[in-house]
Amino acid sequence: MAVIQFQHVGRVFRQNGKEFVALKDINFEVGDREFVAVVGPSGCGKTTCMRMAAGLEHPTDGEVKVDSEIVTQPGPDRAVVFQQFALFPWKTVWDNIDFGLRSLRVDTEERKRRIEQIIALMGLGGYEQAFPHQLSGGMQQRVAIARAYVLDPKVLLMDEPFGALDAQTRVVMQEELVRLARKNPRTVLFITHAVEEAVYLADRIVVMSRRPGSIREIIDVKTVRETENWDAHTCIEDVMDLPSFVHLRTHVWKLLREQQLGDEH
Amino acid sequence: MDTTTAQSPQAASTRRTGWSLSRRLGTAGVTLVVVVALWHVLTAVTGFISPARFATPAEVWGALQQIAGDGYSNGRLHQHVLRSVLLVTMGFTFAASVGVVLGLAMGASRRVEAFVNPIFLVLRPIPPLAWIPLAIVWLGLGDAAKMMVIFVSAFVPSVINSYTGVRQIDKPLFEAAAMLDVTGWRYWREVLIPGALPSIFTGLRLSLQASWTTLVAAELVGAITGLGQILNQAAQDIYPAMILVGMISVAICGWAMTAALAWIERRAMPWRTLQ
Repeated sequence: MAVIQFQHVGRVFRQNGKEFVALKDINFEVGDREFVAVVGPSGCGKTTCMRMAAGLEHPTDGEVKVDSEIVTQPGPDRAVVFQQFALFPWKTVWDNIDFGLRSLRVDTEERKRRIEQIIALMGLGGYEQAFPHQLSGGMQQRVAIARAYVLDPKVLLMDEPFGALDAQTRVVMQEELVRLARKNPRTVLFITHAVEEAVYLADRIVVMSRRPGSIREIIDVKTVRETENWDAHTCIEDVMDLPSFVHLRTHVWKLLREQQLGDEH
Repeated sequence: MDTTTAQSPQAASTRRTGWSLSRRLGTAGVTLVVVVALWHVLTAVTGFISPARFATPAEVWGALQQIAGDGYSNGRLHQHVLRSVLLVTMGFTFAASVGVVLGLAMGASRRVEAFVNPIFLVLRPIPPLAWIPLAIVWLGLGDAAKMMVIFVSAFVPSVINSYTGVRQIDKPLFEAAAMLDVTGWRYWREVLIPGALPSIFTGLRLSLQASWTTLVAAELVGAITGLGQILNQAAQDIYPAMILVGMISVAICGWAMTAALAWIERRAMPWRTLQ
C-alpha cells in the first residue's frame, strides 16, 4: 500500500501575465517503509515535490496524498529535515528534539524514553544541553534528523539534508543514514542532486528533468542491492567500487547528461 | 578523527576572550584619575580654563556635599535621583511593554500591521520633545505630563525593533514550527518572542536612552524635584559646580540603568552568551 502518492501533479506559476510550468504530470508513489530518492538538475522542481508532500506548498493540478488523504497543511505526521537544518537557536539539543513531541501530547516519561533512545542512536550523547550554534554542521543535521525521527512520523521528507555539509562529514552522515534506515526502516522521500548519494541510499530513484519539471525514469535499486548484497559492506567507498553500483550510477548520470545536452541545443 | 563531532560545550564556554574584569576596572580607574588631575591642573592650578565658566574639581566636590547634605532646589541628592529614576522606570516600563506587544503583533499579523502602520508613519517623524507643550496643556506640569512624554519617546523604538525582530526570523524556522504543530501561546512564547529577542533588546536599549533624554528635557521645563530640576535651578543661579553635579548624576543614573538592562539581556538569552 502506497503511503505517499503523487497523482497527475502539476504546478504553474503566473508572473506578469506569463505562465511558467514548473511541474508537469508528476506520477509516482512511495510504498510503506520504502526509501525513494528524487534526483534531478537544479530547477527541475524536486524540492517543490517534497514541499507539496509536506504541505508547505500546493499543486495547481492533481493531488498529493499521504495515507490516502490529500495534503493541505504541514504537520508532525510528515516530518521534514531541512537543508539548512532549521533548528531553534534558543533551544538546547534536547529541547529541539522534544519540541514536536510536546505538540503530540506524548506523556513525559514516554518523551524522555524516546528522546534518550534517538540521542543514543544518532550519537548525540553528551550534547543534550548544548545549543545548536555550539555544534558543527554535521552534528546540527543529526539533531534535525533526530527531531524528525523521534516523532515516529508516517513519512520522513528530506530536502538535500547533506547539501550544506563538507565532503567528509557528508560521507559519515550517509553511512549513518543507511545504518538507521536498514535498522529502523521508514517511509522516506529524499531529495538530492547527488547521484551517488541517491544510488547508495534509496530503494528506488525517481530521475527528473526540467522545463517543464517531469519524471524521466524511475529506477529500482533495491533488487540490485539485495541480490548483490551491498549491505555486507560497511564503508560507502567499498559499495561504490562494486560493478553493480557503478553500472547504476552511470545509468543515472547518462539520463541527467542527456538533459544537459538537450538544454544546450 | 570523526569530523562530525563538535568541541565540547563545557570547554567552549569556559574560554574567555579579551581582558579580565579586574584588569579592565584598573585601567578605567587610571583613566578617571588622569582626567580629574588634568581637569584640576587646567582650572585650579593654571587657570587655563576660567573657574567662573567651568568649576574646579574641589568646587564640584563642595557642591556635591551641599546637595547630598543640606539639599538644593527643593531636595537632597538622593531625593532628586529617586524621583527621576522612578519616573524613567515607570514611563519606560509602560512604554516598552505596550510597544513590544504591539511590535510583535505587527510582525506576526499582516492585518495588525496594515492597521497600525499608517498611524505610525504620521506620528513617527514628530520629535518626542515636540510633545512637551501638548503634554503640559493636557496634564499640567506634574508627573503625568512627564510620563506621557517619556511614553511617546520610548514607545517608538520598542515597537519598530520588536516588529523587525519578528520579520528577521529565518523563514525555515516558521516552516519547522508549522511542521512540528507549534501553535497558539506556545508559538508566541517559544518561537516568535525568543526569535525576536535580540532585536527587542536593541529596541529596549534605545527606548531607555530616549526615556532619559526626554525626562531631563521635561524636568528642565518644569519640575519640583528631579535631576533636570537641579540643572534648571543651577543655571538660574549661575552655579557651574552644581550644573556639573547634575550632569554627572544624570550620566551615572543613565549608565546604571543601561547596565541593569544589559544584565537582564544576558540572562534572557543564554544561547547567545555561550560561545
